[in-house]
Amino acid sequence: MRPGVGVRRLAAALPFIAPSLVGVVLFLLVPVVIVLVLSFFRWNFLTPPHWVGFANYVTMTKYDHVFHALAVTAYYVLWNIPIQTLMALGLAILLNRNLPALGFFRVLYVLPFMSTPVAMAVVWSWMFNGQSGLVNHLLLLAGVHGPDWLGSTHLALPVIAMVSNWQYAGYNMLFFLAGMQTIPPSLYEAASIDGASSVRRFFRITLPLLNATMLFVLVTDVIGSFQIFDTVYVMTQGGPASATTVINYQIYSTGFRNFDVGAASAMSLLLFGVILVITFVQFRFFRTRTTYEVS
Amino acid sequence: MAAAKTLKYVAFYFCLTLIAAVFVAPYVLAFFGAFKPASDLYSSSPWAPPRSFYTGNFSAVLFSDGFLRYLGNTALVTGALTAGQVGFGVLAAYAFARLEFPGRDGLFSVYLATLMVPNVVTIVPLYTMMRELHLTNTYWAIFLPYTLGVPYTIFLMRQYFRSLPSEVFDSARTDGASERQILTKILVPMGRPIIITATLIAFVFGWNNFLWPLIVTDSTSQQVLTVSIAALQSSFGQQWNLVLAASLVALVPLLILFALFQRQIVRSIQLSGVNR
Repeated sequence: MRPGVGVRRLAAALPFIAPSLVGVVLFLLVPVVIVLVLSFFRWNFLTPPHWVGFANYVTMTKYDHVFHALAVTAYYVLWNIPIQTLMALGLAILLNRNLPALGFFRVLYVLPFMSTPVAMAVVWSWMFNGQSGLVNHLLLLAGVHGPDWLGSTHLALPVIAMVSNWQYAGYNMLFFLAGMQTIPPSLYEAASIDGASSVRRFFRITLPLLNATMLFVLVTDVIGSFQIFDTVYVMTQGGPASATTVINYQIYSTGFRNFDVGAASAMSLLLFGVILVITFVQFRFFRTRTTYEVS
Repeated sequence: MAAAKTLKYVAFYFCLTLIAAVFVAPYVLAFFGAFKPASDLYSSSPWAPPRSFYTGNFSAVLFSDGFLRYLGNTALVTGALTAGQVGFGVLAAYAFARLEFPGRDGLFSVYLATLMVPNVVTIVPLYTMMRELHLTNTYWAIFLPYTLGVPYTIFLMRQYFRSLPSEVFDSARTDGASERQILTKILVPMGRPIIITATLIAFVFGWNNFLWPLIVTDSTSQQVLTVSIAALQSSFGQQWNLVLAASLVALVPLLILFALFQRQIVRSIQLSGVNR
């Protein structure tokens, strides 16, 4: 390439990339630097910030509430991800066949994905309400006095996880369906001739060939799951007795209710670190497993 | 034999219908509830359809302090966010997919790397920036961070633009077409499916966005729908008929969108997974 060509090409491309470059630098890269800087300060948005070194990080290790929030988040992720993934996989198995009207059912299963989390959390709060809620009315028909779901420290978090499962199961089903449709039918035919049962075919052909899809679904869902906020805010406000105070809620209340900017920044970075480590582990786990090439 | 097979099909479709009921029920029940007066809502069978379509809840909510304004705010902010995210995104995706310039791939890896940054990490610093710029409590603050170009949408569109046949672009260039003409006459018509997808993703994101508007607006005049529904829920606590009606106002536009574009939505979700 002659000198000058590169400059000319850059000049030609600049108008196209400039707006997004400004956006990425100003609203993604600069904030990551700022949050790192803020985590070394004590600041309440109003009085001048002052340098405290690693104090925010040290405080974080001393106070239970950060670990409590991380534990609550992990507990939520455990109620959310396995069930949601199994639901998605099950739905995909049901719909992955050549029968009429399955497209219609597929659309109905994906429908919850399009709902506003805040609005749907209101609807679910109503249904799980202890006194007038629909769930307890139904239980009463069976002669059971239902609990105060969202007022219980044991039940509130699983109920919130169930709302997420309802919202995203069908969405994830689409990825599994797309993955299943790339598996060549000849593999199943060969296995059938060899007398493999349908269960065996699923575990020996379908599941291994869905490895890449599984990785994608798990990585994106776990990242999303660790950041649950809207549903918690509407359904429980982190309660009862902080039983649903997930890390995102803790960051929000530390930064914007207690105006402890430094601590909130340190917690954000902790969450970032946790998510990075878990994503890395997931990639390692799925890479070490056998992958199959299908031509 | 044939009877057994028929029975199997009936059982199969019955099963599918039951599952569908679980996914659809909250919508139907919210719809029923929003059209009932408070007294009926607390009756012994909250799952029953309303006896008559009582619209009092909607008029109470819609004409209560500023709800229509919040709806307008959401529409405005979502519109600006969608237009910017898609428009600037198309430009960037075109450059990354079809233009050659030094540093292109390095820059694109930087864009991709930012996909790893969780939303909440940027919330505190973004708020700080908006405060310094005196932009809190403005529409700008709500949509600006998500408007100039979002790496995820750029990535999606770039993948699609790269898959288009390059002969079309090459022959247009030899015919002396300007980049601008190539963009409007070739890229946009050919990239229609992915542009629709990006538009839907941006719209749904803007419409549902909650944490950021909650933080960056504290006056009521710039409040958006999601924030006002959450506020209604905490102030009207047990008046479920009112909060249900308000929630339905937020849910219905997305339902209509889904009904209109279900094919594109289903395909676009799958596209976003397969292309990763």
